[in-house]
Amino acid sequence: MRKLASFGTDETISRVVEQYSAMLLRLAAARLPSAADAEDAVQEVFLKLLDARPVFRDAEHEKAWLIRTTLHRAADIRRKRAREAPLDAIVEVEAPPEPGPELLDAVRALPERYAAVLHLYYYEGYSIKETAKLLALPAATVGTRLARGRERLRQMLKEDA
Amino acid sequence: MDWKAYREALDALSFSPDFRERTEAVLRRRAQEQEKERSSVKFIKKPVVAAAVAALLVVSASAVALRLSASQVAERTGRTALAAAFEDNNAVAVNETVQTGDYAVTLMGLTSGANLDELNADLDVDHTYAVVALERLDGAPMGQVASGADYTVTPLVSGYDPWAVNNWTLGCSVDVLEADGTWYFLLDAGQLGAFADHTVYLAFYEGAAPPSAGKFTVAGDGSIAFAQDYPEEHALFVLPLDESLADPAAAQALVEPFLPGEDTAGETPIQESAPASDSPVLTIVPADA
Repeated sequence: MRKLASFGTDETISRVVEQYSAMLLRLAAARLPSAADAEDAVQEVFLKLLDARPVFRDAEHEKAWLIRTTLHRAADIRRKRAREAPLDAIVEVEAPPEPGPELLDAVRALPERYAAVLHLYYYEGYSIKETAKLLALPAATVGTRLARGRERLRQMLKEDA
Repeated sequence: MDWKAYREALDALSFSPDFRERTEAVLRRRAQEQEKERSSVKFIKKPVVAAAVAALLVVSASAVALRLSASQVAERTGRTALAAAFEDNNAVAVNETVQTGDYAVTLMGLTSGANLDELNADLDVDHTYAVVALERLDGAPMGQVASGADYTVTPLVSGYDPWAVNNWTLGCSVDVLEADGTWYFLLDAGQLGAFADHTVYLAFYEGAAPPSAGKFTVAGDGSIAFAQDYPEEHALFVLPLDESLADPAAAQALVEPFLPGEDTAGETPIQESAPASDSPVLTIVPADA
């Protein structure tokens, strides 16, 4: 199997940024409260790709790495925000969360295990099998997380109503 | 549930129109800095390596003397704070070597701390870093890294399945560089210290596939080993982490998204069959043998 060229040349930088920016920005935006946060996260993911320069087996391997690293980075930012929350409460918050439609806000509030599979399935249109491969999970796990994620969303939206 | 509304809400988000252009510029700048760094590494190569004895069967004392230190490896990847951390008293020099196939894999050392990586400045929590060296047993130099850095360096944690807790799920990254015929792997193992109340391993193996049930076995007590007869080059070390770094709540938060929960009970991990082959015997020798 042909391996992908190592990241770092002008050509590969243009290809990867062009090919994945939109998808990764949407994925990050499904986990973070603002578009600016999503842009920061995705730029850091590309920098991490440049620093780590993993050797990918093929395009699917590359995409899976980028998706998982974006989810990790978004989780890091959320954890950091949670730790900083008490401090933010007593100083002016520089960038308040952008209010969004209720379903998007509800997905953002879900644990990552549910939000990631719901986003990849319902927004990106990946099948359960494809989502399982991207997240290195058994397909059955993706199926059950989809069902449980939908159920949690139903409860959250019912409580808000 | 109205998933069309979800898609429309995401599509309506306003991202910067120059995001791609700006990001490409940042990446090109970083790539140029890395290239400069690599050029300086080539410049200071020592010619004495060319005289390495071809029939060398163990990692000799002279080979050890030629190796970069863990601090030098960090320095050459542009991480000066991390380089300093590898020099201070909290760093652990391990220098344990495993011979596997035609290669010697050496865990050189590890250190932990916050804000040690200038290239990833937003690290305000403790990360653990480890340096591994890969050399040929016959003394011949390893090729250039770009010709196929097809190895995996991953932490594993006893009590957790290797396919659930590993370099992928913990968000680790690895820098690889070549100097004097040796490949060095600098692993940023993320918040691995949080697991310090478990036995924490560092596994090294050929190939880029994530840890799987074909590669590893988990004993009843949670201890992890490579599958019997695993045919490719591989090595497994126990990391001497400082137990005071243990943070069970943080560890649980890190692994929670990847553990089989109530919704996955009874599921089996992704299986991968190990190809049959004559298995290389692992031999542990002191680095200064």
